[in-house]
Amino acid sequence: MAASPAGALAGEDRRPGQHSWMHTIVRWLFIATSLAFLAAVLLAPLATVFVMAFAKGVDAYLHSFADPDTAAAIRLTLLTAAVVVPVNTVFGLAAAWAIAKFEFRGKSVLITLIDLPLAISPVISGMVFVLLFGLHGWFGVWLQEHDLSIVFALPGIMLATMFVTFPYVARELIPLMQQLGNDEEEAAITLGAGGWMTFFRVTLPKVRWGLVYGMVLCNARAMGEFGAVSVVSGHIRGLTNTMPLHIEILYNEYNFVGAFAVASLLTLLAALTLIVKTLVERTGYRRR
Amino acid sequence: MSITLDQVTKHYGGVPVVNDVSLDIGDGEFFVLLGPSGSGKSTLLRAIAGLSGVDHGRIALHGRDVTHVAARKRGVGLVFQNYALFRHMTVAENIEFALRVRHMRGKVRRARRKELLRLVALEGMDERLPAQLSGGQQQRVAVARALAHKPEVLLLDEPFGALDAKIREELRRTIRQVQRELGISTVLVTHDQEEAFAMADRIGIMNLGRLLEVGAPHELYTAPATRFVATFLGAANLFLARRTPDGIQVGASVVAAAGAAAGGRGEHEVVAVVRPEEVEVAPARDDLASGFLARGVVEEVMFTGALERLRVRLEDGAATPLLSFVDGDSTTALQVTRTQHEQRGFAVHPGQSLAIGVRRVHVLPTPLSSFTACATSAALAEALVRQPLLAALVARMKTRVAVRVEPRLGVPDAPCESAADFVGTTVLASQTDCAYRAEWLLRRGAQDLLVLPQQAAAPQRVLIHWMGEAVRGATLAVSASVLRHLSAEAVYVGIVPDDGAGGHGMRELLDARSEAKAAHGLEIRTELRYGDVSQELARRLGAAPGQMLIVGVADLARFAERFRAVLDSGQWPVLIVHRAAP
Repeated sequence: MAASPAGALAGEDRRPGQHSWMHTIVRWLFIATSLAFLAAVLLAPLATVFVMAFAKGVDAYLHSFADPDTAAAIRLTLLTAAVVVPVNTVFGLAAAWAIAKFEFRGKSVLITLIDLPLAISPVISGMVFVLLFGLHGWFGVWLQEHDLSIVFALPGIMLATMFVTFPYVARELIPLMQQLGNDEEEAAITLGAGGWMTFFRVTLPKVRWGLVYGMVLCNARAMGEFGAVSVVSGHIRGLTNTMPLHIEILYNEYNFVGAFAVASLLTLLAALTLIVKTLVERTGYRRR
Repeated sequence: MSITLDQVTKHYGGVPVVNDVSLDIGDGEFFVLLGPSGSGKSTLLRAIAGLSGVDHGRIALHGRDVTHVAARKRGVGLVFQNYALFRHMTVAENIEFALRVRHMRGKVRRARRKELLRLVALEGMDERLPAQLSGGQQQRVAVARALAHKPEVLLLDEPFGALDAKIREELRRTIRQVQRELGISTVLVTHDQEEAFAMADRIGIMNLGRLLEVGAPHELYTAPATRFVATFLGAANLFLARRTPDGIQVGASVVAAAGAAAGGRGEHEVVAVVRPEEVEVAPARDDLASGFLARGVVEEVMFTGALERLRVRLEDGAATPLLSFVDGDSTTALQVTRTQHEQRGFAVHPGQSLAIGVRRVHVLPTPLSSFTACATSAALAEALVRQPLLAALVARMKTRVAVRVEPRLGVPDAPCESAADFVGTTVLASQTDCAYRAEWLLRRGAQDLLVLPQQAAAPQRVLIHWMGEAVRGATLAVSASVLRHLSAEAVYVGIVPDDGAGGHGMRELLDARSEAKAAHGLEIRTELRYGDVSQELARRLGAAPGQMLIVGVADLARFAERFRAVLDSGQWPVLIVHRAAP
């Protein structure tokens, strides 16, 4: 009985004929490879962001947020996410519900269409809106006559962000709903519950983790979207620059501390989203 | 009556999954719907619960027509096979769900919950989540939840399917106890006949969407009316036997049949059921306490605890037409079960030759026993045997097809080549002149004649008509028997000749429906037409694809001329029931 301490710790059974030292080496090899890869691809760039942000001290770091344009970019990004995420959540729920619970003509077409934004380049996603609502676009003249601006303004940014991020909630929910089936809903109906009650008391709690996860992904992408927003925003400082666009401008102006300060904030926001998700999950398993 | 179903029908893609089911379930009754998977029993249960609609027919609960009432307003409790508990709610919240929906006060809810948990023996489990319970406990919670709002009817959809044997038995007892205590009318759906026997006040057996038979468990077991019920409820040996004035002749021996006296039309072929435990084996014929059947050789001996199972091959297999098809195995092996007591009296080992006796024979009331494919040459007859609809009927009826060659089939005034009587249903290929051939066979003694086009598949609708009151009973009996083996709907077509008086046709229609229901348990639709009989039948058959005709004929005068349009076209299967008027 020459089980290695590590093997015993994991409580695993040794298969006959298996070399314990070989087993240990292979295991450490795999762990080391993954860690090295993570360090090179993920940790090093992340560290660089913070190192560069604090290169000239905390004062310079904080000072870069005093810039009104930077503050405007942060506000715009948060506002966009605050509008886009709820809208896409409602849409994703409706689409997933329709696909998972009903059989209808054109269902496969709908599924394909939901995937479309993931497949096409973000630049094209932005371009579409310019072609539709831009001055030379289909609705351009009509919009100008009525003094409405969509492209190079807030509505355009929100539309483009919505377009790029709408698959995330639906994509998370469709397989989950299909897998969980209809039985609980049917049970609720036979117990006397109506449609809304069944939805809010049974369906929604049932899929809540998938929903939260989809919203987190949607939010992360909405805050970080660059390509599509870059095309429709027009890069007007203090007005239509979101955080990713603003970072690029600052960087191009050799304002490294400013650029990396905003980048660090964006990174923190992403981390915050993940922390929120973890917290929600953890408290969710505990009972009231 | 707490549940009344009247001609409930449900189609999926044109195929009836629930076919004209009518049923009354009494107050406080425990009713079990038993059938193989795909027989439509779960669909029927969902229709009662209101989770799926019906295409035709009515459903009433306690006298209230609920056919178009939403599921949530029907006041039924439904228990699913996979429990369907709300996984994010505690046991208490699950059980109180129906009460919360009804805005009951917390105090009332708690009291009711405690009562229900006591009922299903789960006291103190209130705060557990479903995932923390075992399968049996989860199903108990599901039962308690379904009973919370005091439903008038409890529906159980294969509730023990996912549980192991021991827990299943325990839960069965609990549910039966709860049901008795509350006196609630209950319908349980299952494919397990042991479960049905253990729990039911009455059992209804479904196959191919049709409710075949309804009755107390012991009635259905000892005196089934159909071969499906005979073979589905327990094991059964089916024999082709002859009813004679002395009794039932199985092979060379005549055995007295249990409770089957009325024969009707003299000596004819019948299907006899012998349960494995009604077979006796002994070293020699003289040692048998019961009627001798044949000698046999033991093929297999299997010990299964309380009982011993034997498979015995009959030595004169040809003389004793045994129809048992065990798992598609068509060898003529007889199934026998023996108790420990019998084993001690006479030990048996494989290869041993012994005498077989039969203690009790039950004769099925079905008029369809076996088929005989009739053609002018052996090759044509063999081709007819392979016809898809015939092959399907033979397989479903667990019977056999014999071959009869009549080289001069259809030649006027020529006698039969074969000296044998016409036995069972004679089958004829549909082709030109087949109306004359049909008449030829009917005039020479064929009683039930099935005319089959080469390509005909199983029909979706069977039209029924008879010419003359003398054949009404026989036509209905044959129709009922055929329809049990087809998932088709039955329509009686009443035809009033143009010159005939009015009112008469409608009464005939109503009589037909009530007789079909009362005497054969067959639900049929009815329709009334005016005009020439054969023309109207041909027109009605041509109106939709996938139809079949069953027609009763008393008088053969001008038969071929009248039925040429229907028979010679080679489009529709036609079953002719011929009984000469007395």
